[in-house]
Amino acid sequence: MTCRYSNKTKVSMIHRGLKTRIMLLLLAAALALPAVAQDEAAINAGKTLFRNNCAACHNKDMKNDLTGPALGGTEERWASYPKEDLYSWIRNSSAMINAGHPRATELWNQWKPTAMTAFPNLTDEEIANILAYIKCTYEGNCPGAAAAGGPAAQPVAPPTKPDNRLLYLGLFGILAILALVLARVLSNLNYMIQVKEGNAPAHRRTLVETLTSKGVIAFVIFALIVLGGYTTVNNAIKLGRQQGYQPEQPIKFSHATHAGLQKIDCQYCHDGARRSKQSVIPAANTCMNCHKAVKVGSQYGTAELTKIFASVGYDPSTDKYIPNYDQMPEADIEKLYKQWIKDNYLNDHDAMDAAGEELVQDQWDGIVKALKNPENGDRKIQGPIEWVRIHNLPDHAYFNHAQHVSVGQVECQTCHGKVEEMEVVQQFAPLSMGWCINCHRQTEVKFADNAYYKSYYARYHEEMAAGKRSKVTVEDIGGLECQKCHY
Amino acid sequence: MKEQNKAVWIGVEHLTNDPAYQQAAQEEFKQLPLAEIAEEALSTETSRRDFLKYLGFSLGAVTVAAGCEIPVKKAVPYVIKPDTIVPGVATYYASTFVQGGDYCAVLVKTREGRPIKVEGNSLSKVTMGGTSARTQASVLSLYDTSRLDGPYRITNGKVDIPSKKRAAGPTWAEIDKEISGKLKPESRIRILAHTIMSPTSKKAIEDFKAKFPNTELVMYDPVSASALLEANETCFGQAVAPNYRFDLARVIVSFDADFLGTWISPIEYAAQYAQRRRITDIKKAEKSRHIQVESHMSLTGSNADHRILVKPSAQGAAIVTLYNAVAAATGRPAVSGPQLSSKQADKIKAAAKELLAHRGASLVVAGTNNTGEQILVNAINDALGNYGATIEFGAASLQRQGRDKDVRKLVRDMNAGQVDAIFIMDGANPAYDLPDAAQFAQGMSKVGLKVSFSGAPNETTVLCDYATPTHHYLESWGDAEPKRGYYSLIQPTIAPVFAALGRAGTRQAEESLLRWAAGETLNTGAEQPFLEYLKLHWEQTMFRQQSNFATFQAFWDSALHDGVFESPQFSIQVAFSGDVSAAAAKVRKPGQSALEISFFETVNMGGGQYAGNPWLQEMPDPVNRCVWGNHLAIPVKWEGGNEFTALENLNNDEIYGKADRVELEVSSKKQVLTVVRQFGQMDGTLGLALGYGRNVLGRMGNALGQTKVGADVYPWMSIDKDGNTQYYAEDAKIVGKTDRDEHFACVQYHHTMGVTARDENGKVIADESTGKPLNVDEKTIMTIGAGMQGGLTKRSIIYQGNLKDIEELAHHIEEKRTEAEALNQQTIYPYEQYSKEIYSQGHHWNMHVDLNACTGCGACQVACIAENNVPVVGRKEVHRHHEMSWLRIDRYYFGDYENPNVVYQPMMCQHCDNAPCENVCPVAATNHSSEGLNQMTYNRCIGTRYCANNCPYKVRRFNWLDYTTADLFSINENYMDDEHMYTSDGLPFYADNLTRMVLNPDVTVRSRGVIEKCSFCVQRIQEGKLTAKRESRALRDSDVKTACQTACPTGAIVFGDGNNNNSEVAKRLGNPLNYVVLEEINVRSSVTYAARVVNRDEAFEA
Repeated sequence: MTCRYSNKTKVSMIHRGLKTRIMLLLLAAALALPAVAQDEAAINAGKTLFRNNCAACHNKDMKNDLTGPALGGTEERWASYPKEDLYSWIRNSSAMINAGHPRATELWNQWKPTAMTAFPNLTDEEIANILAYIKCTYEGNCPGAAAAGGPAAQPVAPPTKPDNRLLYLGLFGILAILALVLARVLSNLNYMIQVKEGNAPAHRRTLVETLTSKGVIAFVIFALIVLGGYTTVNNAIKLGRQQGYQPEQPIKFSHATHAGLQKIDCQYCHDGARRSKQSVIPAANTCMNCHKAVKVGSQYGTAELTKIFASVGYDPSTDKYIPNYDQMPEADIEKLYKQWIKDNYLNDHDAMDAAGEELVQDQWDGIVKALKNPENGDRKIQGPIEWVRIHNLPDHAYFNHAQHVSVGQVECQTCHGKVEEMEVVQQFAPLSMGWCINCHRQTEVKFADNAYYKSYYARYHEEMAAGKRSKVTVEDIGGLECQKCHY
Repeated sequence: MKEQNKAVWIGVEHLTNDPAYQQAAQEEFKQLPLAEIAEEALSTETSRRDFLKYLGFSLGAVTVAAGCEIPVKKAVPYVIKPDTIVPGVATYYASTFVQGGDYCAVLVKTREGRPIKVEGNSLSKVTMGGTSARTQASVLSLYDTSRLDGPYRITNGKVDIPSKKRAAGPTWAEIDKEISGKLKPESRIRILAHTIMSPTSKKAIEDFKAKFPNTELVMYDPVSASALLEANETCFGQAVAPNYRFDLARVIVSFDADFLGTWISPIEYAAQYAQRRRITDIKKAEKSRHIQVESHMSLTGSNADHRILVKPSAQGAAIVTLYNAVAAATGRPAVSGPQLSSKQADKIKAAAKELLAHRGASLVVAGTNNTGEQILVNAINDALGNYGATIEFGAASLQRQGRDKDVRKLVRDMNAGQVDAIFIMDGANPAYDLPDAAQFAQGMSKVGLKVSFSGAPNETTVLCDYATPTHHYLESWGDAEPKRGYYSLIQPTIAPVFAALGRAGTRQAEESLLRWAAGETLNTGAEQPFLEYLKLHWEQTMFRQQSNFATFQAFWDSALHDGVFESPQFSIQVAFSGDVSAAAAKVRKPGQSALEISFFETVNMGGGQYAGNPWLQEMPDPVNRCVWGNHLAIPVKWEGGNEFTALENLNNDEIYGKADRVELEVSSKKQVLTVVRQFGQMDGTLGLALGYGRNVLGRMGNALGQTKVGADVYPWMSIDKDGNTQYYAEDAKIVGKTDRDEHFACVQYHHTMGVTARDENGKVIADESTGKPLNVDEKTIMTIGAGMQGGLTKRSIIYQGNLKDIEELAHHIEEKRTEAEALNQQTIYPYEQYSKEIYSQGHHWNMHVDLNACTGCGACQVACIAENNVPVVGRKEVHRHHEMSWLRIDRYYFGDYENPNVVYQPMMCQHCDNAPCENVCPVAATNHSSEGLNQMTYNRCIGTRYCANNCPYKVRRFNWLDYTTADLFSINENYMDDEHMYTSDGLPFYADNLTRMVLNPDVTVRSRGVIEKCSFCVQRIQEGKLTAKRESRALRDSDVKTACQTACPTGAIVFGDGNNNNSEVAKRLGNPLNYVVLEEINVRSSVTYAARVVNRDEAFEA
């Protein structure tokens, strides 16, 4: 995983380097062709608009249906009507259906009862941009499409600093040799002076003797102790911390897709964050709110979503929950979901082949691996998904999400990083006490907005009114006291 | 000779100023286990096992250190999350604690679907939101590893549990078939139970009867009110305990009735009683007068203003004397009966005078189980005009329904072979808790089918053929009617535990009965058949008693939400019709033997039903302060003011944690008992608690039973002519000392605060110049070496006084407080500045404890244990002063040495703003918060214990051993008994996953080697503040309540923000009786106590 990632980074770096040069060369040509640039700007604007408005229901590959139909080829399908009809459809579809527009009626019959959200604020230009983006995505000829080929939210690596370690090491070596040579020269000169003055020692210390002298050995031991102590303490502090921890999860759930691309609010799934100590990992039935409609994933197809269906007992072929799923024998479960995977394979392929069989078996094995946990005594497919916990606090530390999210109004990203850009979630913050304390020192309390704070802390209010105090931090109201977090 | 003492004392050694006491008071850490461990370690021999142990440890340590591999932790979400549950947020359900006749309306706190704490339900007009120690501890019994996990057959006195772990036992279908097969329509069936308060359970039994007409329900109570019921039946035609109104009574005379601790409805009575006992305005100070007639110091007696000491057998004579005195004044015929000594009679007459002065506002109650005596008590109350005033029958209590004579008949029938089948309900344990248990056991062998519904095996279960365990009340549906018209619902707060684990599981007893009867009334196809049954019954009866709801569903939802449905009946007019002279003839004749013994119920153990609950076993008895067992209370005398004599000079080494064991002979049956000296125990009498000495206690209990906690006193009880059990014996005889109990676990001398300076003769040392008692503190400071280390004079720990002299008391307190304040001003630390800058804004948490309202019942103590994950340590560890309770209730005596008054003082961390513990911590693990909390940070604590040494209140506790099994490496884990008490899996208590389900997830489970103490329930403070912040409003009093506060039935403890002038605690801080314990040492504590005031009168002093 890490290997692949770094390779890709390198490739994209080279690519970018090349591109810059080509860009420089073609500068004049580019200036001569303003229309192309304009097109690209329009498509980029369209992309943003699509993500913000359409992507919640329409598949971004434009080829497959989601909650709403695949949008590729929209303009062709509406070609027999005036352009304004399509535009007003996008702005307010129900009005068109009520008006009895033939194309609108046809779509309604196909998709009812799901109605498309109205977007009355979209301008003609914006709609044109969206359509342009849809068209180029569908046809696969968007400018810069190659760069966007990978997962959309793959974080773009910042230009890495050149590795200077070798240089430093060389420099250090040269300096050390220089010091040695100079020391030697000095000692020779000293010796010569002594000889000149006629009180030269009988024996001149060799280099080996100097290096093995008591002073040098003492210095080396001292240095080793200091260095060793420093390393030990540093590592001891790190013991038990797992910043950057990025375990593999039973389901390849992508926050980049859900939070980043689809812009689903964090608290839609993590609904404990505003009212509980725990942010709460969503129950599988929360997933089902959307995935009753979205049954095939954009990245992994049936591989990951079927795991959720198998956990809760949802039959995606008939769109029904299986009664008495808890008692269903494993063989039946296997048959059911293998069939589902197979059916989906056949959607894209003409017939079952060896590769197809292998895929079905692989995906089924994945389901078994994700949902069974024999070492914990869980030998059933049915039942909860056991996620790997990433953020672990020690037992003696009390943390409350509601306090930070509801009262402190802290953004999730402050502690969890840009989760919306993470394909696989990793621990962003060190979760160390020093890190907590620093934040409590700096963060300002929402002193003016909350009636609770208004009722207390009379002195701070006076000081603020008198201009003696500009802000009240968490520390000021006792946020560094032990028993705020340890009890 | 009467010797009055103005000071308070805690025991004999305190009075004699024994050097051992001086030492004990100074010694914070008693008998370090380190010494023993060191001894073992120093032994030269190193065994192969040791070598392997060290090798294993080193390997483990190296792996951890080198690998630094952090174990992968899983997070398992719900598949389908129930709407009502948000992980991390507690959900409360209204339910009802019922155990036989014990009742409490409760709110059950659950976290992620498991109950962790029980609170009182303030919507109940019966318990008013109060609880008892038993109620608080009931949540632990849900997770008792002794519980049976399914139905079993019993052969040869052993429950047939498969020896292979987790092997499946018989299924319910199998057992049902076998039992049904043995029942014939004409079978003579008996259902034996303690009091059943549930209307629906009774309906189920009626339905069962419809199929088996020869069925009879027999109810009894281990501590019976049989005579009371019979007397009321005779006098008023009402075979119930009436509705007593202690809140309306200005004079209360109680003959041996422990109404604050155990008698009928103690939570209700304590709340009522406290209303007339607390003093808020000294100008208009009023207080009821409470006179207790008894021989043993009961919890209620310890709260009384006067105790009249009367032998158990002379109780009847006392009642006759009172009757005659009242009758003489009210023109009723006198009766002839046994006589008291003239001294005692004078006191009883004084009580009669008091009662007569408050006709209609007085109350006489009696715990006696003699019908004649109860009829006379009724006659007294009738003569005083108390019926319709302080006693009425409309809302009569249904909490005691057992009739002793019924159970006597059952035992006879069984032995005569006239019973074909017997079903024994949960709680009832007749093979143990009957005086004729032996005959009962004999009779059992003649019964064809014997089935026990007991949740955990007991003495009776092993005599049965089948164990068909019922649910714990926290898993059950049900109802209760503690008083006429006061209904209360029981709803499950967790899915039945064992069935959820894939075992056969438990099943509600009522459902089992209905299934065996194959009646049509139970819808066996339903998901929860008994719920349907319960709802149907409520629809047919309770729903019709109200008019607020039009549909049953709405009514049901409301009742289930509230937990209670109360439709009080109109009061019933009654006329007394009893034959007093016939009653007087039945009265007991005083015994002539030198030594009598009374058997009494304690607040923790009941009749033995609670013996399997370690929280209750380890809760010190409020009066004698002993744990894990019943101890024989012997009287002490204090002669001439400086010499004491105990019975047969026993127990001279109590202070060293050693007690004598004696052989006691009663009715020619002998048992060996540990002795405890008890002030207030009448000369010539002994006292011993019942409910101990259980033999069969299930898996965890098996281990308990190996050493048998305490002695079983039921065989010593007798039965009178009416068939009523008598809770005393006349012919007690101490045969002789056998040996010494080296692990005498009595917390009396643990954690003592302050010592009154006396010389070796016990005389108070006076300052030569002033003649006043020497202030050793000052002396020590002024002239180095002149004072006595640790000898402290007249520290302000307890203030007490008489109601008559209340102004004087208030003045005295004011004087002492002014003096203390003046002393406290002489400081180099700018306390005023801190106070102004830090504590004046935001919150400042304060607590107020009213010593007049505190009855010492111990509910707060158990509540604290449940809330804060306080470990259980066992008898041996308590003996070593290692009890871990964060809140203790100190018991002090004052007044007459031989018949003293008692004051209870709940003592917890005082959260001093100038805390001595904080300055001495080398690692700042204990420090102060801006809200005035004395914070303890366990993860920073390195266990020097300097803080505990420096704490003047002695409230800090040290985890000597790994009591909670929270340590990374299992070393020094604590087994609870001398003989290494193992649970079923050979694990220490708290290591079992089932037991651990009781832990509060918001409170750290402390490991070995750290200090812990009361945190003022900081987790509740933080939660309350968060609620206010989220709702963007100021904090209300109701947002933050400590566990001890919510548990208290009398409202003695109030907690809140002292900075908020409108808070309840701020209002209470204005009470002129308030004082701060040890105020003179300038620690600026946050807890204030209101001084104890008694309402004494000279008429009772002889």
